Amino acid sequence: MAVSVNIKMYRIGELGDCFLLCFTNGQEKTHVLIDCGSYWNSNESKERLKKIASDIKKQVAGHQLDVIVGTHQHNDHLSGFIHAESIFKSIKPEQVWLSWLDDPNPDNVLARKIGEDYNNYLTSLRHINKELQKSFFAGDDKILNRVTNLLGFYGISKNERTSAKTDKLPAELPALARKALQKMGKKDPKYLSPGDVFNLPGITGGAVKVYVLGPPKNEEHLYKKEPRKDETFDHKLSANATNAEKMLFAMKKLSGSIKVKHDEEPFPFDEPYRKSENFDKVEEAYKKDEWRQIELDWINQAEQLALWLDGFTNNSSLVLAFEIVKTKKVLLFAADAQAGNWRSWKEIKWKKLPADFNWLTLMKNTVLYKTGHHGSHNSTLAEALNNMTHKELVVLIPVEKSDPMVNFGKGWKMPATNLYKELKKRSQYRIIRMDDGFSKAKAWDELPNQPSKNDLYCEYEVRE
Amino acid sequence: MTPKYRCLRGYTIDPGFSTRLDTMVINESIYKIKWEDLDPGPIGEYIEVIDFDPVNYCFYEPVDLDSKEVLATHGLTPSEGDAKFHQQFVYAVIMQTIENFEKALGRKIIWRSNLKWKKGKVDETQEYVQKLRVYPHAMMDSNAFYTSEKVALLFGYFQAANKIQGSNFPGGAVFTCLSPDIVAHETTHAILDSMYPRYMENTNADVPAFHEAFADIVALLQRFGNTKLLEHQIEQTRGRLDEYSIMGELATQFGQALETGRGALRSAIGGYDKKTGKWKKIDPNPAAYQNTMEAHDRGAILVATVFEAFMRLYNYRVQDLLRIATQGSGILPQGSIHPDLVKRLATEAADIASHLLSICIRALDYCPPIDITFGDYLQALITADTDLSPEDNNGYRVALIDAFRAWGIFPDRVKTLSVYSLRWFPPDLTNKEIKAMNMMAAYIKEDVRVISRLTNRKLIAGKYKDLQRKLHQLLENPDTTAKKEWAASRLTEKDWDGYLKKIGVMRNNKSYTIPYNDGQLEFAESPKLEVHNVKHAFRMGRENRQLEQVIISLTQTHRVEKGEYRGFKFRSGCTMVVNILNDEMKVEYIILKRFDKDRRLPKQADYQLGLGAGLTMPVSSYDDPRKSFTVNFQNLHAH
Repeated sequence: MAVSVNIKMYRIGELGDCFLLCFTNGQEKTHVLIDCGSYWNSNESKERLKKIASDIKKQVAGHQLDVIVGTHQHNDHLSGFIHAESIFKSIKPEQVWLSWLDDPNPDNVLARKIGEDYNNYLTSLRHINKELQKSFFAGDDKILNRVTNLLGFYGISKNERTSAKTDKLPAELPALARKALQKMGKKDPKYLSPGDVFNLPGITGGAVKVYVLGPPKNEEHLYKKEPRKDETFDHKLSANATNAEKMLFAMKKLSGSIKVKHDEEPFPFDEPYRKSENFDKVEEAYKKDEWRQIELDWINQAEQLALWLDGFTNNSSLVLAFEIVKTKKVLLFAADAQAGNWRSWKEIKWKKLPADFNWLTLMKNTVLYKTGHHGSHNSTLAEALNNMTHKELVVLIPVEKSDPMVNFGKGWKMPATNLYKELKKRSQYRIIRMDDGFSKAKAWDELPNQPSKNDLYCEYEVRE
Repeated sequence: MTPKYRCLRGYTIDPGFSTRLDTMVINESIYKIKWEDLDPGPIGEYIEVIDFDPVNYCFYEPVDLDSKEVLATHGLTPSEGDAKFHQQFVYAVIMQTIENFEKALGRKIIWRSNLKWKKGKVDETQEYVQKLRVYPHAMMDSNAFYTSEKVALLFGYFQAANKIQGSNFPGGAVFTCLSPDIVAHETTHAILDSMYPRYMENTNADVPAFHEAFADIVALLQRFGNTKLLEHQIEQTRGRLDEYSIMGELATQFGQALETGRGALRSAIGGYDKKTGKWKKIDPNPAAYQNTMEAHDRGAILVATVFEAFMRLYNYRVQDLLRIATQGSGILPQGSIHPDLVKRLATEAADIASHLLSICIRALDYCPPIDITFGDYLQALITADTDLSPEDNNGYRVALIDAFRAWGIFPDRVKTLSVYSLRWFPPDLTNKEIKAMNMMAAYIKEDVRVISRLTNRKLIAGKYKDLQRKLHQLLENPDTTAKKEWAASRLTEKDWDGYLKKIGVMRNNKSYTIPYNDGQLEFAESPKLEVHNVKHAFRMGRENRQLEQVIISLTQTHRVEKGEYRGFKFRSGCTMVVNILNDEMKVEYIILKRFDKDRRLPKQADYQLGLGAGLTMPVSSYDDPRKSFTVNFQNLHAH
């Protein structure tokens, strides 16, 4: 009996992730679905996701969908579980795996605190997004667009409405998706933490092992896209949440969304300053040079806040490595992990494993690498990639160049040029892209299996 | 008669230190600022403080520094709750910084012009900007930055974290404009940008780091010029400057007020030992320069290097004082040291700091106009100082070289770390090229002479611009621009091209292709030439040596407009240091960044197109890595 893994990278047609893995060992089969989502929530997106979900149903027919993995709360990873919720429900998946951050258990104090700050932060940002559209802040579409684009990862559009009764914002799509996922499995969801190692269910004899790498429990790594030495990051999330809240308050005052009495909460000075005759000259100087005015410069902070939250969410990615035990070959699914998540792997204390085992062992044995964050520049750690030396290495990049977000010019650069170059070198050009399929590299001939593609997915098989 | 100075009270370190018993006494200093007539604001010759707060959408009443009440009391009393004091304070620190630069550079600071953009091109009629705009309360954010687009400094304020950290008041307001370090730091960004606008371009990891480091070096050395503060620290540490705590930290209160951290915003030169809780100077780490890429961390290496030089000089220079005080043993007895000794040690330290600051500033004139590296800066330091103080009896240069070596910063392709080989070399030119160079010098001589006699900044700026235009025309078309001189020189166009190559530029009306990364960089024809700067300098060295110079910087932009790498640009150029001596003008150095297709070009392309040495760069995911992306201080300074 030999283990083989069939991997289908579904072709979302836009920015998004959806992977169906089928582990086979003799008669045994285990299906694992990692994410299903896309960035835009257009009708087209929804139809596509439904089509994909139906195909998944077809693929697992006669068996079962053993595991659904939801890596992190971004639309491009989870939206399918809402848009095609009924199809997924009808598949009756066995169990859902989420990260420890999603664990609702009240004993999980850290996760709850983070979740609370996270929700406040996102809520403030959504309101800021609405404030930015008020006439007072009109004129700076750049910031508005950037904030809106980033909020797009939460499925939030420019014109979202608050409830007429409560003025509350509806729950965002990825949060709804997570809730749906938590109820979707026959068994209770499994919440994974770094350092967890267990046998893949459905494959007996421990022939396939699962290693959990991220998201880090060390807050320092969780909070930082690019951690720097000697910095502590405790409470950075809640600090930024507070900043967002304060910013929102100031914006609301200016736009007239709220009325504040004159003497209420003056900040930064206790007493308001009186006008004097000196005042006019300064005001005149200010008004004279329009190009030097700073009316709206301070709202640039909104983009910083949105970017930070985006990085945080990416770093909260559940990262899994699947090992075919006999030959030690590893399939690495890095979700959207950014530098902080990657760096934390070094410090993982692995349960029940020999002391000389460490994350580099996994990197060295990686034969299939699902690139972090669609191949963006800060989502593959150089040290990790330099250690991916297995001669069978194949790289998957879920990227869609026709997506306006990915297009060169105004969007994100995915995949980042030099990372792409390095990935090509390491894999000897054995790269499978969601948009283009795969290159006709000679090095494919060295593998027992060739990739293939059709309209719906790119397919490849790892053999023991 | 107008007074010589205006005395203004202000904080020595951050306001928080006024509420600590040990530092309370030293936290008020008198800033002695050269007298100038001021309007309320204050608005003077160089800066205009406009206290508009867009978050509260109001103006705060401007301070009138000429009013009797203010003049009679050496300025308003330092207070966090008084916006007028804030205005006074930013004025004092900025003017102090400007004075230090003008003294070292030997000329007047002229801010970057207002670049008007017309259809993607800079309008030639750039507008002179007389005053740097200063907004002390520009945003509600833990941030402060210089913006070249508005030629302005923006300072933020924010609410401190709701827990007790260091000396901050939980939940209280923290003002970045009240930290002398932050104000000096941002002012330095503005001055550096006025000299080298291309240092905003992130062409190698050292460039953004250099901007940050240089700004911190100025802030740090200015602080070390404060004798009163030094005396206090020397008294506490019994002369050991490597044991102090507060002096070596920048923006302590700001750092403490942030929810994220304990301690100073920047502590490039030392830090608290986690085990002992004691402050310790950082020991030089020769590997750090190779392994550190993030702008602040990399910049911190340069700051630490300069500080290392400072420490070496201090220890060297006070040996004799310690021997005198201890009957030759050099070992101080237990207990406090004699107040006279404290004073002498502090004077030495302040003296060193002030010289070192001048050296560091002056070296800027010997830096390339683009793509600077720390190694370039070391060479600039050594060359500039050798020119001005050839003897160097006090070992400044050796201390600097020592420090750079200790931190593992080595210039490119320099064989030995001696003063001799670290100096920029005089240009290596053929006879024809010398002829061409002399022709150029002769052509601008008269204009330089006129400028050297001017004192009005606006006139000077105008003349500089004229001269730049003139030089530009000459470089492109010597035959039609300077008909007489050209004819007399008997040079050919080919000779001229040879000369241009030696100064890092070319005249090329064909496109050209350079292989890169399995593809090609297709550079468009006629790369644009820019005469960036022509600056006159009149300066005085440590040995009272005087030097009159003209600094010319040229750049040329090579653009890729087609193909896979469309949008990429690569610049070449040079800074020319011209000495004026007895009516003669001689090009002393050409600090060159060639169109180096074998080394510099692929290095820059690797760095900008992808991720250079590491795969993580502090850029927002929006930054388009294919552009020669600019250093964005707002992002760089965000915390």
